[in-house]
Amino acid sequence: MTKKIFNSIFCATLAVLLISTVFIGSVLYSYFGNMQRDALAEQTGIVAAEYEKNGEAYLTAFSSQSYRITLISSDGTVLFDSVKDATALENHLGREEVTQALAEDSGSSERFSDTLLEKTYYNAKKLSNGNIIRVSHTKSSVYSLLIGLLQPIAAVLLVAFILSFVLSHRLSNHIVKPLENLDLEHPLENDTYDELSAVLSKIERQRKTLLKREDELKQKNDEFSAVTENMNEGLILIGTDSEIISINSAARKIFLAERDCIGRNIITVNRSPEFTDVAGKCIKGKSSDCLLTIYGHEYQVNANPVMIDEKAAGACILIFDITEKSRNERIRREFTANVSHELKTPLHSIMGAAELLKNGIVKPEDEKQFAGRIYDEASRLVTLVEDIIRLSQLDEGVITEKESVNLTEVAKEAADSVKEEAASRNITVAVSGADVQISGIKRLVYEIAYNLCDNAVRYNNENGSVKIEIESTQSGAVLSVSDSGIGIPEDSLERIFERFYRVDKSHSRETGGTGLGLSIVKHAAEYLGAEITVSSTLGKGTRISVLFPKI
Amino acid sequence: MRSRFDEQLELLNTELVRMGSLCEEAIALAAKALMQGDAELAQRIKPIERDIDAKERDIENLSMKMLLHQQPVAKDLRSISSAMKMITDMERIGDQAADIGEIIGFLGDKRTDEFELICDMARASIGMVTKSIDAFVKRDVEIAESVIKSDDIVDNTFTQVKKALTLMIKNNPDDGEYALDLLMIAKYFERIGDHAVNVAEWVEYSVSGIYKGEQSI
Repeated sequence: MTKKIFNSIFCATLAVLLISTVFIGSVLYSYFGNMQRDALAEQTGIVAAEYEKNGEAYLTAFSSQSYRITLISSDGTVLFDSVKDATALENHLGREEVTQALAEDSGSSERFSDTLLEKTYYNAKKLSNGNIIRVSHTKSSVYSLLIGLLQPIAAVLLVAFILSFVLSHRLSNHIVKPLENLDLEHPLENDTYDELSAVLSKIERQRKTLLKREDELKQKNDEFSAVTENMNEGLILIGTDSEIISINSAARKIFLAERDCIGRNIITVNRSPEFTDVAGKCIKGKSSDCLLTIYGHEYQVNANPVMIDEKAAGACILIFDITEKSRNERIRREFTANVSHELKTPLHSIMGAAELLKNGIVKPEDEKQFAGRIYDEASRLVTLVEDIIRLSQLDEGVITEKESVNLTEVAKEAADSVKEEAASRNITVAVSGADVQISGIKRLVYEIAYNLCDNAVRYNNENGSVKIEIESTQSGAVLSVSDSGIGIPEDSLERIFERFYRVDKSHSRETGGTGLGLSIVKHAAEYLGAEITVSSTLGKGTRISVLFPKI
Repeated sequence: MRSRFDEQLELLNTELVRMGSLCEEAIALAAKALMQGDAELAQRIKPIERDIDAKERDIENLSMKMLLHQQPVAKDLRSISSAMKMITDMERIGDQAADIGEIIGFLGDKRTDEFELICDMARASIGMVTKSIDAFVKRDVEIAESVIKSDDIVDNTFTQVKKALTLMIKNNPDDGEYALDLLMIAKYFERIGDHAVNVAEWVEYSVSGIYKGEQSI
């Protein structure tokens, strides 16, 4: 701005100076030129009169430095010259002033010297004898005047320059200051040029719309992040260059990523070939999915392109934790395989015995033994099927009203049912503890107590002991069954509640269990809202406690 | 101009991660092929190794271009120069994985106790490579330092393998060739561990400006 103001002031000064110099110069010049001519005509008249009166003697006596006098005959020959030798001068008949004088008695003309720096004025007058007298006077021309003026003009220019500089500086400061001090946050509160008020009110309007937009945007953003942050699934949005636009907290947790990964390439979050492949495919516009295993968890990754005008503008990647799902899947597969196996084995025995009987190969005295085997295996099958039905009932969640159950009574009942089996292997079963009432379903509580007792006897050593304790604690009633049996290895502790899971797979059939007992316990406990804790020492025994919630 | 430079830096970063991921894939394949005695699986390492070589050249070109055109200073210069050092180590990791793959072809199905030790080494060195690249991705000096420390584990296991194999040759001279093959594989895994340490050291340098625990100038 200062520069612009400086330029304007300086140019204006320069223009005014030039125009006025030229104008005044030309007026003065022509004025002085006219005066010169008039003076010269007068002088010529005087000289002519003097010459006619005094003759040649006046001319020789006339030795003015500023005037030059020439006497020319009517044929043009120079008769006398006050400056130069007359004989050396050429014929003057062609001269303008001479021709004019011959014709009109007097004449005048002016001529530039060779260098243009000087100008000579001539004035001629016809004498009575027909000769012509001419007086001339030389003055410096307008050009020499100009050259002479150069120095003062330069000085004036310099002054103008400095003046312009200072003025422009001050002026621009003065003009710009209100503009610089504009408060654009509150445009309408400014006290400044009226011309700006239109602009300022426009700024105010736009500022308001911007603020509104910003608020809306922020609100939308907040809504979006509130939705995505509370998702259990990981959600990542990426742009066309695979850069992360948004990543929710679940995804950050899955990939152990920090918040600052936004804006960086998705490869920095997970660089496994499957994942980068999926991300690469979907920003090209193809949906795809893959399975990922990260730190022991299994994830299903679904990626879909975000299409705008039929062009992929990015992609949306969803990550589901399917660890639990695939574990359940595995358990279900194993269950089906196990059930078929467990059902098939007794059937094979039954079929074998029945076939022998059918074909009459069996001796009559052995028939009883074979029938007995068929009976045993069939009843084993019945137990198994009953267990499975019970389990599936629990799975289905057949709802029965809860009632008040005497835990001690139920425990005693369960202990009685296993007493026979225990006695045959010389195992003592003892129930201790006060009467405790719980809220539950008697059948399920009995199922829990019975299966725990049954296992405690089954996996016990000969001459061992089973202790059933009931106590009432602050958090609820606890039923614990401890045995002096073979114990459970630590790495199997987590799996004993799975259906058909056997710690010692090779000897499971000898004990006669179905492999579903603890599974039933777990389901029944879940149904009643009870908690199971297991502690076991290999070779010393196991203690399983069930904590029933308070009434 | 500046934003273009930032873009190039990000590209360099991404390419490095991609190369690291290829290295991980190569050595994971080598370890898997070794443990399962699967020579066919080992065949798949070779193409990955070629990809790694191509990536090395790409990254080298990009780094040179950035050095010449943008003349970076300070942290940016460190990032680029350490990238150029890192790719050399990563390329060596790829080569060694491919070499292991070649030897697996001669091993056959034989399994001995020494073999288990080498499998341990394989697992440990995979862990080191993964961690060193994690350190790079997260610019995490702590992870880098843990990689540098865990090199001792691989080195110690290598010494154990060496002793066990010497005994094996002494007791069963007929197994000599098998023992030497195992030794080669063990040595390669040990070298891979060293390269992972180098990568971790360059990560440290690019983040902190201090190389191998030297005082910064």
